[in-house]
Amino acid sequence: MWNYYFVLGWRSLKRNPVLTTLMILILAIGIGASMTSLTMLLVLSGDPMPHKSERLFVPKFHIQDMRGYKAGDDPDFQLTYIDAKNLLRDKRGKAQTVLFGISPTIDSGRKDLPPFFERGMATTGDIFSMFDMPFRFGNGWSSDVDDKAANVAVIGPELSEKLFKKDNPVGKTIRIDDRDYTIAGVLETWKPTPKFYRLYGTEATSRPEQLWLPFTNAVSREYRNNGWNNCSGDGAGPGYEGWLKSECTWLQYWVELESAGDAARYKDYLNAYVAEQKKLGRMPRPEQLQLLNLREWLEDAGVVGRDTKLSTWMAFGFLLVCIVNLVALMLAKFTARSGDIGVRRALGASRKEIFHQYLIEAGVIGLVGAILGLGFSWYGVHILSSRLASASDFYQIDFKMLMITLTISLCAALLAGLLPTWRACQVRPAIQLKSQ
Amino acid sequence: MEIRPIFSAMMRSKTGVILIAVQIALTLAILANALYVVRDRTNEANRVSGVDDANVFMIAVLDKDTNGIIARQQRDEDTLRSIPGVASVALTSQMPLSQSGSSTGVQVDPKAQESQVNAALYVVSETFVKTLGLKIVEGRDFNANDMLVIDQSKAEKPKVTGALISKDLAKTLYPNEASALGKVFYQGVGEPPIEIIGVVETLVSPWGRASWNNNSTGGDSFILPARFIQPYNMYAVRTEPGQRDRVMKEAEKSLLGLVPGRLVVENKSMDQLREERYRSEHTMANGLLIVIGLLLVMTASGIVGLASLWVNQRRKQIGVRRALGARRIDILRYFVTENVIICVFGIVLGSGLAIALNRAMMSELELQRLPLVYLLMGAVALLVLGVGAVLGPAWRAAQIAPAIATRSA
Repeated sequence: MWNYYFVLGWRSLKRNPVLTTLMILILAIGIGASMTSLTMLLVLSGDPMPHKSERLFVPKFHIQDMRGYKAGDDPDFQLTYIDAKNLLRDKRGKAQTVLFGISPTIDSGRKDLPPFFERGMATTGDIFSMFDMPFRFGNGWSSDVDDKAANVAVIGPELSEKLFKKDNPVGKTIRIDDRDYTIAGVLETWKPTPKFYRLYGTEATSRPEQLWLPFTNAVSREYRNNGWNNCSGDGAGPGYEGWLKSECTWLQYWVELESAGDAARYKDYLNAYVAEQKKLGRMPRPEQLQLLNLREWLEDAGVVGRDTKLSTWMAFGFLLVCIVNLVALMLAKFTARSGDIGVRRALGASRKEIFHQYLIEAGVIGLVGAILGLGFSWYGVHILSSRLASASDFYQIDFKMLMITLTISLCAALLAGLLPTWRACQVRPAIQLKSQ
Repeated sequence: MEIRPIFSAMMRSKTGVILIAVQIALTLAILANALYVVRDRTNEANRVSGVDDANVFMIAVLDKDTNGIIARQQRDEDTLRSIPGVASVALTSQMPLSQSGSSTGVQVDPKAQESQVNAALYVVSETFVKTLGLKIVEGRDFNANDMLVIDQSKAEKPKVTGALISKDLAKTLYPNEASALGKVFYQGVGEPPIEIIGVVETLVSPWGRASWNNNSTGGDSFILPARFIQPYNMYAVRTEPGQRDRVMKEAEKSLLGLVPGRLVVENKSMDQLREERYRSEHTMANGLLIVIGLLLVMTASGIVGLASLWVNQRRKQIGVRRALGARRIDILRYFVTENVIICVFGIVLGSGLAIALNRAMMSELELQRLPLVYLLMGAVALLVLGVGAVLGPAWRAAQIAPAIATRSA
């Protein structure tokens, strides 16, 4: 019987191609718009390291002095050099690292490749295992390199191919700001989304850095943070030395703990640290420090911007209008066929069978609309991604999204078909036949 | 009028009426809010920068050292000036709408624990105002005697004598004074006073309106006359009309040739900076405009669909009415009036929905309160759309011959 209804539904759709096309288009456009914005929302609110996000933490201290202090003020989201160095020295986590953005020049010495800027990060050797960064060649650097501030670098796959083509460059040197660095490893493409380790100073969607240098080395070369620097309070004293001694916050600090349960103990340690610093006349604000795990950190940084949320609201409102419209059009279509229904009912079809038949017709519209809608969402995501994200393939529809799309459109169509179908079942054969 | 019979006819087919009214209500709720957001984003994206946008560009270079950097800066400026088509050149620490630069808290009360506003800080050479094409509304421009040299590796800070400020900042600092000229402000507690020697009409910050700086509209800026001793230097250049793109290429070539090992970090026109700064605003506005357009088409198609259904269902009644003496115009008027009633019903419902949606978004997304004019605009648009959409089916209804009444179906 289902087969027969399918054929009937198909025929009925073919009988009125303009109306059918309109219905399918309406559904597809609604689905396309809502899925496009949902994809952006999901990508931005995603967890870049689901297996570890409960164990990775960012400490937030109140570093500023009492000037302009209001109760309930948020602590600083970056650390001073003094604090980052102290926490690194204490090594109280399973692993810990610090990061800041750099933008040195690279001179390949090749005639065809003039010196160029490369965006990179200064960090410590722990980072590669902490963030599960995959290596194509070689590996990260040891803590020895960190201690000695050695001229060692890890480079990204794009930079590696630019300088060395497909070759393995481990052990070769790269000239960074007029000094030779030994390449310890080449990363595989690593693109956490959102880019949790650098939310301030760059976009959450920008392309991954291609150059990773030891933090101690970058400091010895007096590199300044290419990103967000906050110098409220007294600002920095003269020179780079003054910068390092200042209460300016410019460093991101991450710590990995054995388990999420260790957070309380680590927080105790941090509180003791703050108490100690208070004795030295620092950190005068009475507020508590915060220890955020990766998910809380993303939430805190507001990665999902207002515009993303706003467009999701608008898109789902739009989908709702599409569904109401679809209901109206189906109602018109099914009501116009009261005569057919009357005849079928008079010939012995039960209400249930009529219901099945028309629901299948609605389902056919839903299926076709879904496939078309998926095409629209793919196109929408493609357009938005090229307009909004610096990394062009940042937004991608994944399998989960595909399934959500299909489910939503089928549900939408069936929901839209429900009322008209129910109304169609109410047709009383006698009255219909009489009026013929 | 014939409102009563129309009304009782509507009551007999409630489902369709409710569907159309709900659709109009939802459309209005989204339309009004979307229009408002579009307007808000477009206004921000088109905001006046105070700069002669069409003819100004910036070029930033990075040298290997700072030996004799002041003389080098001046030579760079002279070199740029000598390019045919260049009207004016200045050294600057940052550019409007470039999304990168420095800002600092400023205040009138030297002891206040909290600054009044976070204002953009431009540190520039004396030709800056002329180069960007800023308009001085009060006081005077900088001259060569005002210029200071700041060496950030040294402890002593040069004494800043005076600053130019934007009119927005003047209003923020001295809201109750007719003029801020000659008055002073501070960059924080314990900082020396800075005298306001002039006010420029408009100078937007490097960020425009920014979510991290909620207290400012993005127009609070002040300008100090100084040169930094640093290897990174940015120049603003204004060209004669129509010469910009050619001059940009030549500027890059000649600046690169002046110092060995020099790199050009950035070379961008004001138009490019504005385009990059407001890309997401444009995307948002365009996306919403598409949604608005589709919504209107969709609502119109819904009305046409249901109105056609009603006309078909009532063929016989229409025939009877025609046979009893109703003119074509009466039939047309019947359907139009019916539709207007539904539209008004939907609009009333939609106004409530629009306000509710706006309130929800205000608390969830920090959106501003929806001005009622957008609601009114949306309502008028929907009424016009509704009447326009029903005209076709109503016209077809009016064409039904009275003879239909005599047939059985």
